[in-house]
Amino acid sequence: MKKEKILIADDSEMNRSILADMLSDSYEIIEAEDGVQAVSILKNSVADLSLLLLDIVMPRMDGFGVLEAMNQNGWIEDLPVIIISAETSSSHVERAYELGATDFIARPFDAIIVQRRVVNSLLLYAKQKRLISLVEDQVYEKERQSDLMIDILSHIMEFRNGESGLHILHVRNLTDLLLSCLVKKTDKYKLTMADISLISTASALHDVGKMAIDEKILNKPGKLTDEEFEIMKTHSAIGANMISDLPVHQQEQLVKTAYEICRWHHERWDGRGYPDGLKGDEIPISAQVVSLADVYDALTSERVYKPPFSHEEAVDMITHGKCGVFNPLLLECLSENVEKFLATLSSDPIDELKRSKIRSISEEMLKNEGGGVSKRTLRLLDRERMRNNFYASMTESVQFEYGINPSMITFSGWGAKKLGVEEIIMNPSQDPKLNDILGEGAWPKLERAVRATTPEHPEMRLDLPLKTGDAVRWYRLVTRSLWTDDAPPKFDGVIGTAMDIHDSHSKMQELEKKAARDPLTGLLNRASAREKIEFKMLDHPQSRFALAIIDLDDFKKANDIYGHMFGDEVLKFVAKNLRESIRESDVSGRFGGEEFLMFLEYKTDIEKTVDRIRRSVCGVIENYTVSVTVGVALSDKVGLDYEKLLHAADAALYAGKRGGKAQYRFYDDSMKNLLESDTQDI
Amino acid sequence: MTIEQCYALMGSDYTDVLNRLRSERLVQKFVLKFLDDKSYELLCTSMETGNNEDAFRAAHTIKGMCQNLGLTVLMRSSSELTESLRNGPTPESGPLFEQVKADYAMTAEAIKAYKDSLEA
Repeated sequence: MKKEKILIADDSEMNRSILADMLSDSYEIIEAEDGVQAVSILKNSVADLSLLLLDIVMPRMDGFGVLEAMNQNGWIEDLPVIIISAETSSSHVERAYELGATDFIARPFDAIIVQRRVVNSLLLYAKQKRLISLVEDQVYEKERQSDLMIDILSHIMEFRNGESGLHILHVRNLTDLLLSCLVKKTDKYKLTMADISLISTASALHDVGKMAIDEKILNKPGKLTDEEFEIMKTHSAIGANMISDLPVHQQEQLVKTAYEICRWHHERWDGRGYPDGLKGDEIPISAQVVSLADVYDALTSERVYKPPFSHEEAVDMITHGKCGVFNPLLLECLSENVEKFLATLSSDPIDELKRSKIRSISEEMLKNEGGGVSKRTLRLLDRERMRNNFYASMTESVQFEYGINPSMITFSGWGAKKLGVEEIIMNPSQDPKLNDILGEGAWPKLERAVRATTPEHPEMRLDLPLKTGDAVRWYRLVTRSLWTDDAPPKFDGVIGTAMDIHDSHSKMQELEKKAARDPLTGLLNRASAREKIEFKMLDHPQSRFALAIIDLDDFKKANDIYGHMFGDEVLKFVAKNLRESIRESDVSGRFGGEEFLMFLEYKTDIEKTVDRIRRSVCGVIENYTVSVTVGVALSDKVGLDYEKLLHAADAALYAGKRGGKAQYRFYDDSMKNLLESDTQDI
Repeated sequence: MTIEQCYALMGSDYTDVLNRLRSERLVQKFVLKFLDDKSYELLCTSMETGNNEDAFRAAHTIKGMCQNLGLTVLMRSSSELTESLRNGPTPESGPLFEQVKADYAMTAEAIKAYKDSLEA
């Protein structure tokens, strides 16, 4: 098999050759030493490439420039890009993602991670392309076959009925036109694009009952006798019976619609039609429209008993009630669309039909009805999956998708192997092997957690032990729930990854055990808190963290007035509140004196969280009101550096104290010099 | 001299780099290649001529190589220098450049010694 080609764009020859060495066993490597060269290679051979590994800082044109060029030329849709850079500040990451990068690999390079990421990206793209072409093939095939069947059926019926060769196709087309016009006039029939397509398709069967009528009557050149006409009239009821006698498919909307059309396409708006004498909107709209289309086409076509009429003559005859009585709204549609009707009848109807059909099908798919998948949905899914993949950090992770209808879970190939399960599992909640891996009680817990997600907050995180082989290891599950586009949205399934966090989990527990605690409050002491915080940052270099110092306001007063014993009670009170208002995975500590510290990982809206915690820490104890000031520093702003975070939080705290206490403050650059001048004061 | 001793001499962690690159051969190959890279020369000339853009890029490249090779000491100083040059030169850039020079000399000397011992 031909090796896939990977383009590496990096100005450092050494970095290129390290990557090339890691990948050259399985891939063909092409190198570019700056952005300009990369773009010129892309220009010549983007179609031959499978992946781009892209550095950000390069001479002449940097990585962002390359991404921009890829966007301008539309290459970004076809070629996955992994950013390889030491620039992992979140603004860089964000910008690269916005420009369409699929993944990041941070320096220093780790051979296994590089290989894994490359394989993942290639697999995802291959899968996406395969899915898209699968969907397109299905649509095409479905359409081709139904068109073929209808063409054959039409031809047989027309042959027998002696109608013009295009009658059935004309009726379908006119039906489509009339309905499209009707939905613009009124919404009382509640017709979607899919309904319109369905009725147009079913219209092909309107005269199927004529199969049972004697050919002599059908093709009689002169006027029918009353007796013959009565026989002729039975074709609508007969056609309906043919449909309702079908042994299968009775629940299909197409079959139901075909029944309506067959039975009632000779009813009249004034109730004087046949076979049932239905009146006005008692007649299903499908039959009303086909009835009008049928009459119009019969008038404008040549028959054994008459020459063709012009469009104007036909419309005139119809609107003056010479050929039946119709829904006034439909008559409006007929007279308002002269050009369109003429165009429809003179153009190649099959071509026209196909176009309209493709349009309605693709619209249906965009609406994501009936499990249809659009390119856009695929891309969104994919993007999300890659994001998860990225946040899954440097660990190997099991990726999966879960859908509720049908209830099915799909694992990525590697994930299935790692867990020792099939790639596709139907009814996963009942699957013995999966339940064995998850352990007892895990499934309901998972269901609860997933059910708690909302379209606004679709993500869920859960740490749980999984049994793979004989070993039990801790995994972190991160999922994103999916909803349909309906209003209200319906839960549709989840996509997610499970990362092996066993080592860090054990390390964390070990730290937890060893951690020295403050004897009074039971919180971590300064040194242990630091150790734990630094470990967390090291373990999750891509996460966002907030470090906060919580300082009691006027604590000296409490000590002076109520005594030290009471002061200790206040400290214990605050510690307890603090511990209860943060998550287990967060860090809290006592810093000595009346200073506490907390350290949180967050995604969005950290301000709300800080505000909530600040409020819940405060309270009244024996008539003494506890009030605190909180200074917060974010790793986004300050960096993943304990000392810097602490320093910044301290500055923010100082700003808060100066600003009147009993509040929280987030560090910003305006506080930069706050501590230099008067650190000694506090 | 073994490659491990060479790393010890450079104040760097050999186990870490071996874990990442997965083979002693690769570590050896790239460490020896480190001396051929022209980024350090570019850094020196562009610091002298005051071409900040080139200086920043050269420092950035050195930092990237050091990260990949796990050359901790030089990585630290080149990383600091990179940051100090990122938005135009700062007062710290001068002293940091001196530090990079010293660290580079130390690193290069260790690698040269290792190279000599291979050829001996």
